[in-house]
Amino acid sequence: MSDAQQPSDFEPTSVADDFEAVDIFPSSEDMDLRPGADNCYKCTSCDTSCPVAEVNEDFPGPKFQGPEQWRLKRHEDVDIDDSIMSCSNCMRCDDACPSSVPLSQMHNTARGEYVEEHLDKLSREYLRNRMLSNYRTLASIGSKIPRLSNFVMGLGITSVLGEKIMGIPSERDVPEFATETFRQWWKKRGGSKVSNPDKQVAYFHGCYSNFNTVEVGKAMVRVFEEFGYEVLVPKQQCSGTPMFANGMLKDARREAEVNVRELGEAIDNGAEVIASCTSCSMALRQEYPELFDIEGIEELSEHTWEALEFLRVHEDIGQAIQESEVDPQAFAYHAPCHARNQGLDRQAVELFRDLDGVTIEDVGESCSGISGTYGWKSEKYETSMKIGAEMFDHMEHAEGDVGMTECPTCAMQMNHGTGYEIRHPLELLEEALV
Amino acid sequence: MSSKPHVIVIGGGSTGCGIARDLAMRGLDVTLVEQGNLTHGTTGRMHGLLHSGGRYAVADQASAKECMIENRILRDIASHCVEETGGLFVKRPEDTEEYFQKKLEGCKECDIPVEVLSGDEARELEPYLAKDIDKAIRVPDGAIDPFRLCVANAASAEEHGARIETHAPVVDVLKEGDEVVGVEVEHESGPGKRVHREPGTREEIRGDYVVNATGAWAGQIGEMAGLEQEIEVRPGKGVMTIMNTRQVDTVINRCKPKGDADIVVPHETTAILGTTDVEVDDPEDYPEEQWEVDLMIDTLKELVPIIEEARTIRSFWGVRPLYEPPGTGTSDSTDITRDFFLLDHADRDGVENFTSIVGGKFTTYRMMGEDISDHVCDKLGIDAECRTDEVPLPGSDDFSVLRDYMDEFGIRSPIGRRSAQRLGSRTDEVLDYDGPNPVVCECEAVTRAEVQDGIEGSGSDLNAVRLRTRASMGNCQGAFCCHRMAAELYDEYDEETAYTAWDELYQERWKGERHAMWGRQLSQAALKYSLHGTTMNRDKDAATTDTVISDFNAFDTGVGASPSDGATGAAATDGGKRGDD
Repeated sequence: MSDAQQPSDFEPTSVADDFEAVDIFPSSEDMDLRPGADNCYKCTSCDTSCPVAEVNEDFPGPKFQGPEQWRLKRHEDVDIDDSIMSCSNCMRCDDACPSSVPLSQMHNTARGEYVEEHLDKLSREYLRNRMLSNYRTLASIGSKIPRLSNFVMGLGITSVLGEKIMGIPSERDVPEFATETFRQWWKKRGGSKVSNPDKQVAYFHGCYSNFNTVEVGKAMVRVFEEFGYEVLVPKQQCSGTPMFANGMLKDARREAEVNVRELGEAIDNGAEVIASCTSCSMALRQEYPELFDIEGIEELSEHTWEALEFLRVHEDIGQAIQESEVDPQAFAYHAPCHARNQGLDRQAVELFRDLDGVTIEDVGESCSGISGTYGWKSEKYETSMKIGAEMFDHMEHAEGDVGMTECPTCAMQMNHGTGYEIRHPLELLEEALV
Repeated sequence: MSSKPHVIVIGGGSTGCGIARDLAMRGLDVTLVEQGNLTHGTTGRMHGLLHSGGRYAVADQASAKECMIENRILRDIASHCVEETGGLFVKRPEDTEEYFQKKLEGCKECDIPVEVLSGDEARELEPYLAKDIDKAIRVPDGAIDPFRLCVANAASAEEHGARIETHAPVVDVLKEGDEVVGVEVEHESGPGKRVHREPGTREEIRGDYVVNATGAWAGQIGEMAGLEQEIEVRPGKGVMTIMNTRQVDTVINRCKPKGDADIVVPHETTAILGTTDVEVDDPEDYPEEQWEVDLMIDTLKELVPIIEEARTIRSFWGVRPLYEPPGTGTSDSTDITRDFFLLDHADRDGVENFTSIVGGKFTTYRMMGEDISDHVCDKLGIDAECRTDEVPLPGSDDFSVLRDYMDEFGIRSPIGRRSAQRLGSRTDEVLDYDGPNPVVCECEAVTRAEVQDGIEGSGSDLNAVRLRTRASMGNCQGAFCCHRMAAELYDEYDEETAYTAWDELYQERWKGERHAMWGRQLSQAALKYSLHGTTMNRDKDAATTDTVISDFNAFDTGVGASPSDGATGAAATDGGKRGDD
């Protein structure tokens, strides 16, 4: 275009909404994300927001992992740099990017390729990662005999062997299994106490609320029933979050197919899908349509909510909270990265600061550092704790000595770094309203 | 002068470099002079297609056959400059079956290996091809980097004793009677490698024979030699538009008779759209027009629809040195033959020791070099065999890009892979670098080691470093690396030299960027401008002007001052003037 003339059909920069590579390819393994690099101006906002790059100077950062690496690819190139395994999939880069580069999609896809093409399927790393990302399978076995499992996992020898054999840091305490899973409780309870075909929600409890923090799931049910919702608990698998983070895209797809089908049925009957874990809602909303082409996946994405978010939009929960009161208590609240990416990082603080008896303080913007399974790997433990240091520090300076967060693994990290008990917003909501 | 005959080659494009290498390998004393950088003329402004000959298989079968022969040779001797992408001639529903069959038959007649693919097969190979492409012919087209090729040819010539002088425009052709005895050049910064700010010098270079391989500029050299009959090169300009990423990894040609905007060539990290053909008067001065760029995108989106939405990073124009013997009188320049002509001026004009080579195309540069070298040797009475068809160029010896770059060189695998794709068998020599080796150009994955190798080869000329390494040729167009490249010049070169070289690189980048000033590339340019303007004063560096600033109050009256405190006309803090909203 000559510099003297204006383009006749000038259109403002198009955003990533019209980036449609996903529709063309059957699966993420074959996905060509090079066009996504078009949106990158190299501004480096993503690198400055990356918690891993902040503490690990060998990590080349999201700009390299995403748009740069993809742009450098040629058809026949299969090698992905091994540094992709150091990305924790916190997805902060997605949020930081001012021009909608599909960073986490690029990272997830590259990681999937790396694991598929380069990681030895018999290596300790692969087996350990496979195990961690299939936590649900592990947990469903462990929780058949919860007391024995908890006893064995609590033994010093178990943690030494875990470190030596599997590369799981002995510093961490394996979460205890509940003696009764959420689904067992649900069945015993006889399902929903409310019947209301016009107000139905399908609860995606995820693995952790089912096997470990059952009280979060129970709180979700009671709170929603309080507002007159009929809660459905469809059959469900893992959301896939730990699988994306470990490049196990085939496992994730297998789980996603079940979730899309089962939750899709509920959606067809008029229900909205509610998750109590912000990483689960993130997976269903963003990663599913970015990585898989499954019928109904867009609908699921559009009808998925985080629990508090849903109530804040659909019910006058603010009023209800203002009219309530609880025993005096103070919380150090941490917003999980995945909540941040969904714009939910302020919801708990904004809601509970109006609750009589409660003091709640946001402990800042830093990442907790655990990022799901990331901090559960011996070689990543130190990085994980370095990232978490700022949050630990802020928690200790906060007035409260009880932590609060929506994410179960952030909760583990908060507890690990400070020794605080950690609660979920739904638990406080239950205390206030039910 | 040595006892060996001395041949002067004018022109540092593919043809000139090819001739210089060929003659030097035959044992002659060779000097190559070039007015700018190597590839300054047409070679640096082509779309990087290594022809299979498919494009000429219907209309110009002699050229097609030559292309296929040379294509095979270059895959061998220039492996690090060639990417074996393969090519497709795709047929849209409105293109005729008759021409498709003609193309297929033509290719077969010219020994070009072909395979017919269905539309679905073609899309399986190239998923971004338009859904309505009927079918395609697969041919062994390739992509070739003209910069690397010329640099490698020149390096090989130097290894065989040749002297290469860039930035040395010929100002006169020296004659004694009817004999050409040399040329006079003006070195922009003295002989040898270019160093900015060194004073220029003139030099008379005497030789036994002069070859004019200046393509579109051949007529001008001919005039200096006082030829009675003009060398009628008919320069035809063509636009090429560079996309930010590779939408295709295969060369995509449209299967129809000649037309504008009918090819997409994957080139390094980009894809190049081409082209147009409009005759121009002056190869140095012609309009670069918007409609040409628009035409590329509007037409080629019929083959690869995603191009319409994709980001372009720049456009450039090249001038084809088309030639036709006097009296042919072809009216449409697209019909002029792509064949090359050797004009011996002794026969043609009665001027001895002087030959021009005109016309032709990039893919057959080596063959042209061989022909003219045979001719020169014949004239000089030398019996020497051409070996350029079997001896690999420097960097093209047997080599594998598959290695562990982190272990070997401490660099990330995509960086190492791209470096090795560029450096070929020179990889170890260049990347085995003493000291920290950070990435200088992130878009193209160029490390300090490679930039330093470029500087070693071409002096303080950052544009020459760019051509050797691709640094600053990626999507940010130098926003994040121009200054880093300039910093690499220090301390071998002083600060002022580095600044001058840096400015020159800016200007060169801007020349092509300004043709992509919409959408995302406009944002990119704005970011580049503000980064460099606000953090490095590169919009106007006070240190580089002669103005002495005595009244600092004129710039900022300080905290608490109301706007009215400043006198009208004084500079406001935003750089504008007070009082002129």
